[in-house]
Amino acid sequence: MSLEVGRLHAGYGRLAVLHGIDLSAGDGELVAVIGANGAGKTTLLRALSGLLPVTDGTVHLAGTDVTGYGPEKLARTGLAHVPENRLVFPSLSVADNLVLGGYTRRRGPAAARKEARDRAMALFPRLEPRLEQAAGTLSGGEQQMLAIARGLMAQPRVLVLDEPSVGLAPRLVGEIFSALGKLRDDGLTLVVVEQNARAAFAVADRVSVMDRGRVVLEGDPAALSTDPRVSGGFLGGGFAADADADVDADGAAAAEAPGGTPVAPGSGSGATRATERT
Amino acid sequence: MTDLLQLLFAGLSQGAVYALVAIGFVAIFTVSGVINLAQGEFAALAGLVAISAVSSGLPLLAAVVLAVVSVALVAVIMERLVIFPVKRMTTLVSLILTLGVSTGLKALMLLVYGPNAEGLTPLTPGGFSVAGVSIRYQELWILLIAGIVSLAVYWFYERTLAGKSLRACAEQPVAARLVGISLTKASLISFLIAGTVGAIAGVLASPIFFTSWESGLTLGLKGFVAATLGGLISVRGAVLGGLLLGVLETLTAGYISTGLRDAVAFLLLIIVLVARPAGIFGRSAEARV
Repeated sequence: MSLEVGRLHAGYGRLAVLHGIDLSAGDGELVAVIGANGAGKTTLLRALSGLLPVTDGTVHLAGTDVTGYGPEKLARTGLAHVPENRLVFPSLSVADNLVLGGYTRRRGPAAARKEARDRAMALFPRLEPRLEQAAGTLSGGEQQMLAIARGLMAQPRVLVLDEPSVGLAPRLVGEIFSALGKLRDDGLTLVVVEQNARAAFAVADRVSVMDRGRVVLEGDPAALSTDPRVSGGFLGGGFAADADADVDADGAAAAEAPGGTPVAPGSGSGATRATERT
Repeated sequence: MTDLLQLLFAGLSQGAVYALVAIGFVAIFTVSGVINLAQGEFAALAGLVAISAVSSGLPLLAAVVLAVVSVALVAVIMERLVIFPVKRMTTLVSLILTLGVSTGLKALMLLVYGPNAEGLTPLTPGGFSVAGVSIRYQELWILLIAGIVSLAVYWFYERTLAGKSLRACAEQPVAARLVGISLTKASLISFLIAGTVGAIAGVLASPIFFTSWESGLTLGLKGFVAATLGGLISVRGAVLGGLLLGVLETLTAGYISTGLRDAVAFLLLIIVLVARPAGIFGRSAEARV
């Protein structure tokens, strides 16, 4: 297992947000974590990358116990976190953003750094002509690509992404997720936290559904997309303010489209056929 | 015409000293949001250390190096003891803390070096006169060294990985941590830069402007005004702000009244804060450092 999280508890001071999360991702596996607002998805990633202290439970990265590591040390050990809202360094050039992405590998072999950079450029060719531009002048989609590319520059074993689709046009969401699919096919382990369940289901190997700091459902996307609790809460029903696992929203039954792409029933709310599996 | 040239030249060399102090403010503020009120004391302490080293028989150059190194060390120790332990640093908290350090340093300097103002031996004594403008060699040294130091600092932030990592901390602290940059180390480096640059300002200024235990106050305030003119986040802005302030001061002293000399800085500060809070040389957030 590249990433193994056992009974993880974390929170903000006295406010406990995560109540014993179990999550695992094998080599070359893309795990999507979905859930409504406030389910604890971002908190989970912040705890994984060391921004928040873990109050209980364990995190293992490629067999090493990394529980309690700070973000700097975790980055060095091989976990790259692509944060919510991209957080590129706005006044620095795109090229400098990439160089800083490889900060923990600055003393490593130059060949490995170049290879990471070439891979990132091949994945997002759009960044190439913008290398000298200040990152703050990029469009939202390009900034997201840069944030992912910056994460890849750390030559990680595990890449965790927080809401890569937020605020992007459907076509760009597709582009981003197909890039994530390519990375998975190249053997990288990815954990993607998403509210855009449709996009996440289309590429994920496994899906965990979070609610109120717990994983309430887990399984492969095809099976989960037919689960009425999921489709009612996340796929068809638009915003689910309260995605209580026991509530069967409208008893909606999911249909499966040809080609294995899950489609929610009556998906009038957002006809985003977000992405195709690569 | 000769008067004007003379005043301009004196203003520029004075301004170069302000510029160096201002760079110290910028270096620290961009990384951690700390406004370091002890910045002027760094300069004063360096001057006094150099003076006492020379009077105890050390060669001038060795004394200057000793002064710069020891003040850089003081700055680093200050960061570890006063800034680093604070969990939730805000600009207000930093003002109170660094005011405390500034007061402490002043008391210490008074205790150790006594109340008299003294001047360090100039790097090259004497001067010459061109077209009626008299120029001291020390003033040329100030301009030359301040120019080199400013360019070096600018180059550090623009071209080196370490400098870029400090800018990253200033712009997106969370993302900086996620790519593996240590914020505590960045803060330490920023104090090291501020201490070094402030000390260089102190030893350069001492032969002309004299140094006493309390000369850090005016120098620090002027440096702060210069940094604010540049928006507090730009090395280039700080340098331009320092030069502008120096020139305006000498022009005021020369053409209006010497009594108004120190008033210029604060008048300028008020005008800038009211009219252009981002600094007159600030180009919004894009031009950080």
